[in-house]
Amino acid sequence: MSSIKLKHSGGNGVIIAAPSSNPASDKTLTLPSDVDGTIVSKDSANSLQNIAGINGGQLSNRNLVINGAMQVAQRGTSYTGGGYATVDRFYLDYAGLDEAPTQAQVDVASGTSPYTSGFRKAYKLTNGNQTSGAGAADVFYIIQIIEAQNIAQSGWNYISSSSNITLSFWIKSSVAQTFKGHLKTDDGTAQIYHFETGSLTADTWTKITKTIPGNSNLQFDNDNAAGLRLVIVPFAGTDYTASSANENAWQGYSSGIFGGKDNTSTWYTTNDATLEITGVQLEVGSVVTDFQHRSFGQELALCQRYFEKSSMFFSTAGYPFIYQTEKRAAATVTSPDAGGTFALAGVTPSSTSMWVQRTGGGGQYTVHMDAEL
Amino acid sequence: MTFTYKKVKDFDGVDSTTMILRKEDHAFIPFDEANKDYQDYLKWVAEGNTPEEAD
Repeated sequence: MSSIKLKHSGGNGVIIAAPSSNPASDKTLTLPSDVDGTIVSKDSANSLQNIAGINGGQLSNRNLVINGAMQVAQRGTSYTGGGYATVDRFYLDYAGLDEAPTQAQVDVASGTSPYTSGFRKAYKLTNGNQTSGAGAADVFYIIQIIEAQNIAQSGWNYISSSSNITLSFWIKSSVAQTFKGHLKTDDGTAQIYHFETGSLTADTWTKITKTIPGNSNLQFDNDNAAGLRLVIVPFAGTDYTASSANENAWQGYSSGIFGGKDNTSTWYTTNDATLEITGVQLEVGSVVTDFQHRSFGQELALCQRYFEKSSMFFSTAGYPFIYQTEKRAAATVTSPDAGGTFALAGVTPSSTSMWVQRTGGGGQYTVHMDAEL
Repeated sequence: MTFTYKKVKDFDGVDSTTMILRKEDHAFIPFDEANKDYQDYLKWVAEGNTPEEAD
């Protein structure tokens, strides 16, 4: 049989035809079993539309995470300590550690699964030596904060439990264990959604996917403030964990459940243990899709909304400098090179520009413009 | 790190009402409530601290 005709009662129908050439082997086209819908649609001119969307969301700009492939590292590629210091948009925070960890942008080894999927960079944490063990007040996490308006306008009907977002990322640990993570909201009454990676095999990249439903308690204001926090937790002590913390469900937030249920401390108590992450994607819909790779230039521009590093000439007279990208808010401005000789000529920096000046003569200096969340 | 702050002057030589200097890293912080460094400055002031006078 080369075709099947689904015939309308009026006589004509739609024909499903066999391929025009003989495939090398049988191929299977699997139809969904759990949803109703139309696979092929038409536009207002009755032309067939091949794809109306992906994963119930838009075709492009699906990834709500910025710099998820860890390409951009304006501040540097290695730093021992916390804060925004290496890979853009990813903040490292900790408390109670005996020795500070090192954060770094590193290469993904060729031949590995993320490498063959197009990832060339990863965010790497190297643990310090936590000589006093896993203390109750110790806490250690990586976070990306997403602007509220980016969630509000994402297309996720976040107040509906039947509308989902899907998180995916690659992770590799030098120590075999399960790690915790969560999403946390900022607006209204803060809510938290805990998840686990599942048990990771040491030194092996694993792709994690989590589909997360909406909830009637979620609120995302349409503004430029913090909206959603994506957090990976290498370790949280018992001051930040509780048996009442839910896994895979939203609940009201308190600091006592920041780390979820009690954490495994094997990684944390291993000197120089490492944890690498790349390919972080958060998208509207219930199905994980392939990572949406963006060019370096696109990713850099997205990062520059929050932080921009430039090299510019200062003069004693001063001159205006227009940022490469408008900032999320009026930027804090520093010059790590010029230090105390750097000034702003009495004009407050805005979200788009500043007036730079240097006392004691001109020169070429680095300037940081910071409007991070 | 605990930060301290210092007033800066506008073009006309009077204290700026729109910007403050964070002394430890010589950071110029605009008075924008969406700026996290300004939020930290407001907390510092609320704790009873006062910025140093401008030069």
